[in-house]
Amino acid sequence: MTRQRAAADWLLEIPVRRLLEGGLEGRFPLPPGDRPLVDPGSAVLAGDPLLEHLRDRRIVEVDVVSTEADRPVPGSRWTPPPGRRRRDRDVEGELLAPVPGRGNRWRLITGDHRVTLPSPVAGVVTEVRPGAEIRVRSEGWSLRAAFAAGTAARGTLELATDPFGELRPGGIDVGRAGSILVVGSRIDAEALTRARAMGVRGIVVASLPGKELRDFRASERRQLAALHPAPPFGVLVLEGALRRPIPGPVAALLERFAGQEVALLVDPPALVFGGADPAPAEADPTWVRIRSGPNAGAEGRVLGPAGLWRFGAGVHIEAAFVEIGDEDRMAVPLGDLERYA
Amino acid sequence: MRNEQPVFAAVDRGTATTAVSLVGKVAGRWRLLGSTSGPAGVPEEALLERLRGRLATVDPGTAASLALGAAGSAAGARRLSCVTGAAPEMVVVAATERVLKPLAAAASTAGWRVRPLVLDGAEILAVATALADPRVAAVLAGASDPPGADERPLIGDLGQLVAAATERRPDLVAVLSGVLAEPGGRTEALFQPGRPGPTVLAPSPATGGGEPLRALLDGLRGGEPDGRRALAIATATLADVLQRRVEILEIGMTGAARIAAGWAPGETAVPRVALVPEAALLPRSFSDAHLEAVMSWLIVPLDRLRVRDRLRELALAPWGDAAGDGALLRLAAARAALARLLAATPAFDELPPADLVVAAGGVWAVAPGPAVALALADTYRRAGVRGLGLDHARLLAPLGTIADAAERHAVMTELRDDLLTPLGSVAMPAGLRAGRSAGRLVIRGAGGPAVLDLAPGGLELVDLPPGERSIVEFDLRDPVRFGLRTRHVALEVAGGLGGLLVDLRDIPLELPRRLERRRELLASWQAALWPEVEA
Repeated sequence: MTRQRAAADWLLEIPVRRLLEGGLEGRFPLPPGDRPLVDPGSAVLAGDPLLEHLRDRRIVEVDVVSTEADRPVPGSRWTPPPGRRRRDRDVEGELLAPVPGRGNRWRLITGDHRVTLPSPVAGVVTEVRPGAEIRVRSEGWSLRAAFAAGTAARGTLELATDPFGELRPGGIDVGRAGSILVVGSRIDAEALTRARAMGVRGIVVASLPGKELRDFRASERRQLAALHPAPPFGVLVLEGALRRPIPGPVAALLERFAGQEVALLVDPPALVFGGADPAPAEADPTWVRIRSGPNAGAEGRVLGPAGLWRFGAGVHIEAAFVEIGDEDRMAVPLGDLERYA
Repeated sequence: MRNEQPVFAAVDRGTATTAVSLVGKVAGRWRLLGSTSGPAGVPEEALLERLRGRLATVDPGTAASLALGAAGSAAGARRLSCVTGAAPEMVVVAATERVLKPLAAAASTAGWRVRPLVLDGAEILAVATALADPRVAAVLAGASDPPGADERPLIGDLGQLVAAATERRPDLVAVLSGVLAEPGGRTEALFQPGRPGPTVLAPSPATGGGEPLRALLDGLRGGEPDGRRALAIATATLADVLQRRVEILEIGMTGAARIAAGWAPGETAVPRVALVPEAALLPRSFSDAHLEAVMSWLIVPLDRLRVRDRLRELALAPWGDAAGDGALLRLAAARAALARLLAATPAFDELPPADLVVAAGGVWAVAPGPAVALALADTYRRAGVRGLGLDHARLLAPLGTIADAAERHAVMTELRDDLLTPLGSVAMPAGLRAGRSAGRLVIRGAGGPAVLDLAPGGLELVDLPPGERSIVEFDLRDPVRFGLRTRHVALEVAGGLGGLLVDLRDIPLELPRRLERRRELLASWQAALWPEVEA
């Protein structure tokens, strides 16, 4: 009993990665001018309108006639009074701030092109901060990722490659439209832009190098500046920037949910498995993954503590012995390991 | 603490790692029994148990006398804990660039991540969007007093925009400075009284060299058990205990601190503090310029894209990849961060030079002591002679949380031999003329005198182990600056892991522009102090 407890205590020194998390709160940007279409406390279903986004925000000045009881407030909506014959009679938008020294003159944020953005997740609206953000606590379980780019999206989860694979641009066709593709260890910017063009809603990948991320973001900016609104498309990076496969427990989870509707969130970066309870299985506490260092991506069983161990460049770090497949046990820095819970 | 348990745990929780030290009464004195660190998510109890187990194995007698013999027995030990969190964000807005600069300088050394905005020529919408960003906790708006001709037309807009932002977000802290801070004035009247976020009238950055404004902004951050504030308190006590002028250079994952404390008999030292998030190991605003700065210190031949990706990995898992190339990359990033910290705090260079410079923060944890000494010598370029130390156990900040000054002083006095790893000393003359020889150095140590020829531009290493002291006599051809301008000087220096570094390189350090040549030179300096590295 004492020995078992001691072993369990020692395992606490290895960083834990939670595989699934419940009640994740997604944040959706609501910059000044955008209009929330939900109220705090209200329930939303996936696909319900969340906010009205202005694609061409601009500022105009309008005369705001008010009474003492009806004082205009920054952030409130404003529409011209009926029968108004001035130039601003068609202008509608959000009050920003009074123009100094100009009486009733106010700056108003408005625009001509408006799109309604749907909620990618089902859940409860926890907060609406005009000019800032909307927060929605999602139903179901979520898998957190390292980072994300693009916009939140929803689609059918499809496995395009094995966890070690790489998806080339030629491997994406219009048959994948509407899906969120799991593409293995890495992908390049060209494949990402092709996926977006083919109507794919999102990509889940283990790693995305900085160069590909920059290229994709530049492409995304051009897309947003285009006249016609593009459908939502996001990239979810599970691990980081250096190439490695999708972790085994994560790959098993994605395999289990293949074919179901999922949501890809950008802030925080996560994949939300809506509604259904996946009832996460008990994780083996001794199963570890090498997250970084020379053996990054390898998985195995941790055997015991190695104490302070001398590694490359004469650096002494706390380490553990790990057995990977049929290989001899090796000492791995504790900071390079992670286990799942 | 005096009449309580004979053991306590000091815990420094950072954003990347948690450091835990076990301190116990041995032969009537507080002594450091062990220290360790682990990734931020690892519970401190697990780290404490690691230390306890190690003590019980190595010295069962001491463990038993402190009631630390049994598993789990350290869990009940008293804790001295401090937490260092991510820096909050502040928008600093002014009418013109001229006014913005001193405001941003004060805010960026007060522990705030600064987002600078200028109204002149900017789109109002972009300014309003930045003010509405939920990540922004406070806004500092300022104008000259009296306002300059360039800012007068924009001051009305400045007040209205900030006031409108506080109406959207009543919790937003608004700080007004300069002419905007006139009590009962037109600008203050724009802000709703009684809202959750305060409206603060602050001094101008021109008052007292900006220090009153900096101190006020630092106070607005909140978070009393903040690790960096505790570090500042401990630095003042350390200066008092050692009776020396101490300067701390702390580099963390999300911020950095430069703290200087002097010492005078019978006086309580007031430390000078600058908290600079932009000097974090990897600041949030990481750009190509930051990458170039890291590349310029790197001795391993990695291309820019690879370095960028590895730094991104470092940001995601700061505790990982700490050996081999990873250690070198970390130290290159640390040097770049240290250079940013020193550049952001020029006012410290006006203070009397420190007798002891101490490196602190988790970034140094995995580097060998001599390599840390070289990193300090590479970046902290002030003429003079000084000792170098390392807060190896990250013990200073937790000790700074002891509220009673006398008790803190007593504990630190007893722990004085354990607090810092002695890295050695550095002698850094300025104003050397180029030539074959600048003169000679005579080292009078326990083993008899040794003579060293001094070559300008070089870095000489004199073996001087920890605990030893030695008299060094500089006999130079031309007068140089050692604080005073002189040709002959004799000084006492203390030994350490890096020995005595006689640093005759340029002040500031000039490195070759060509990448290969620069790497070669950096590697040659490092080879003597970090022989395990293969460049």
